[in-house]
Amino acid sequence: MALELKAISATNYPTLGIKETERVCKLIDVSVCIGCKACEVACQEWNDTPVEETYPYTGSYQTMPELAYNFWNLIKFREVELGGSFGWTMAKYQCMHCADPGCLRACPAPGAIVQYTNGIVDFVQENCIGCQFCVTGCPFDVPRLSPKSQKVYKCTLCSDRVAAGLEPACIKACPTGCLQFGTKKQMLEKAMKRVRQLKAQGFSQAAIYDPPGVLGTHAIYVLPHGDRPEDYGLPRDPSVPWIVSLWKGPLKTVGNVVLLGGILTAALHYLKFGPMRAEEKTRG
Amino acid sequence: MVRETQQVMKPKRQKKSVVKETEAVLVSSAEIERYNLRERLVHWTVAISFLYLLLSGLALYSPRLGTWLYPLLGGGTNIRIWHPYAGVLFALAVTIMTISWRRCLWMYPEDWEWMRYSWKYITHKEGVPEAGRFNAGQKLLFWVLAFSGLILLLSGIVLWFREKFSRELWLASILAHEIFAIVAMGAIIVHMYMGLFASPGSLRAMVEGKVTEAWAKAHHARWYKRVMGIS
Ligand code: HEM
Ligand code: SF4
Ligand code: SF4
Repeated sequence: MALELKAISATNYPTLGIKETERVCKLIDVSVCIGCKACEVACQEWNDTPVEETYPYTGSYQTMPELAYNFWNLIKFREVELGGSFGWTMAKYQCMHCADPGCLRACPAPGAIVQYTNGIVDFVQENCIGCQFCVTGCPFDVPRLSPKSQKVYKCTLCSDRVAAGLEPACIKACPTGCLQFGTKKQMLEKAMKRVRQLKAQGFSQAAIYDPPGVLGTHAIYVLPHGDRPEDYGLPRDPSVPWIVSLWKGPLKTVGNVVLLGGILTAALHYLKFGPMRAEEKTRG
Repeated sequence: MVRETQQVMKPKRQKKSVVKETEAVLVSSAEIERYNLRERLVHWTVAISFLYLLLSGLALYSPRLGTWLYPLLGGGTNIRIWHPYAGVLFALAVTIMTISWRRCLWMYPEDWEWMRYSWKYITHKEGVPEAGRFNAGQKLLFWVLAFSGLILLLSGIVLWFREKFSRELWLASILAHEIFAIVAMGAIIVHMYMGLFASPGSLRAMVEGKVTEAWAKAHHARWYKRVMGIS
């Protein structure tokens, strides 16, 4: 399952991927997550990201306050009111591998972010210049800058493992079947089945989280309370910010017109009127 | 201004101008100090930091320009690290420029009047009112650049220390940074064209500090009269 490029940041020429590739997908069935953090550990182990000093206990069952450049997979813990009663939510949080990735659109460094035909969005640190425009472009607030290397890091969906035909490390570690991996089609089918089961169990708002604002993601969720994604730490209607589209689209044209038009106008002015020579004016 | 009157330079090529009899040539051979050393240092600090900002900004923005500009300006990651420091240098230098030239650059009523003739000025027609040390076009161009600089500085600080600000503010700052970068780029093209090509003698003014009397009379007649003590 070799990886083929679909999109490259800051690059105009088309990619050469010609094969039809199945899109891969991670399914996160929040209803069966027990918050054991096996996936967090597996992620750190496989990706060789060091374990940081633990934070003082803050009364939360969350390992870290948020994602970090060396911590790509976080089980968000929340105390919420769900369906009229008090409850806990445990929901895995990581890069969503958007079909329309705001990070890639915003990135100015050629080749620093790539999207493979199988849907994985990967950062190529070698080409990254640390500007953090991807952080601004990402509707899920995922990429994180390393203060040491001045490069940005995030979940790779274990592109290295997937390329070798293995499932991502977090999937392998999950003991409850909360995390599953396969093609997007398979995962959507499974998710639909789970939603039907949950509805039958009385979770009338159960739903799949596969936000259309970013043309769908390659990490999708089954949420028992699908009408309240915020309670799981997920944005309601994520989409690439319009400012990013404006900035990489029409404003670019305006900039080109000002730069090239300005130089051209100056050149034409010079040819038509020439320089304003002092001697001529004093004589006149 | 009285001080400037005394700085009138000794005519240099006296002999030559005696040979050519026309008065215009005689006049043009005398030299007047236009920018003292401090003014020139401030100007070139502004200019170099601005050019670095513009080129590194373009490199950060546009992939095509980026590939050949990146190595020229210090390499991708370095550009990203240096760009904001160049911004701070630029802001400081422009502040000094603004303070020391506040009187020369202020838009007085006669400057607004001058603006009504700007098309005549652009098309080299007669009848443009006499200008002081700077004409109204130069002044307005300066204010456009200074105002853009202020917005670029403020939005740049947000993008520099983005952890300290909200996502909405990042987005607004990116937009503002972009728009005013384009405005400043447009303004600097005009300024560089005027300084380098359209007005011979100007570049010498900013490099050597001196202009000929003819240049002063032709471009900045009111200033010329003031410096020469002609009322
Ligand atoms: C490489 C770029 C630049 C070049 C080649 C350049 C050239 C010049 C020249 C030749 C003059 C003298 C004009 C005269 O005496 O009539 C001048 C004046 C001046 N420059 Fe620049 N300059 C540059 C960048 C800048 C920048 C970035 C600023 C930012 C504000 C600036 C602000 C000014 C101001 C306020 C004056 C006096 C008024 C005027 O002539 O417009 N310059 N420049
Ligand atoms: S979640 Fe953010 S970092 Fe991940 S692909 Fe989408 S935009 Fe990029
Ligand atoms: S920080 Fe993000 S946007 Fe900037 S070059 Fe690196 S990957 Fe691209």
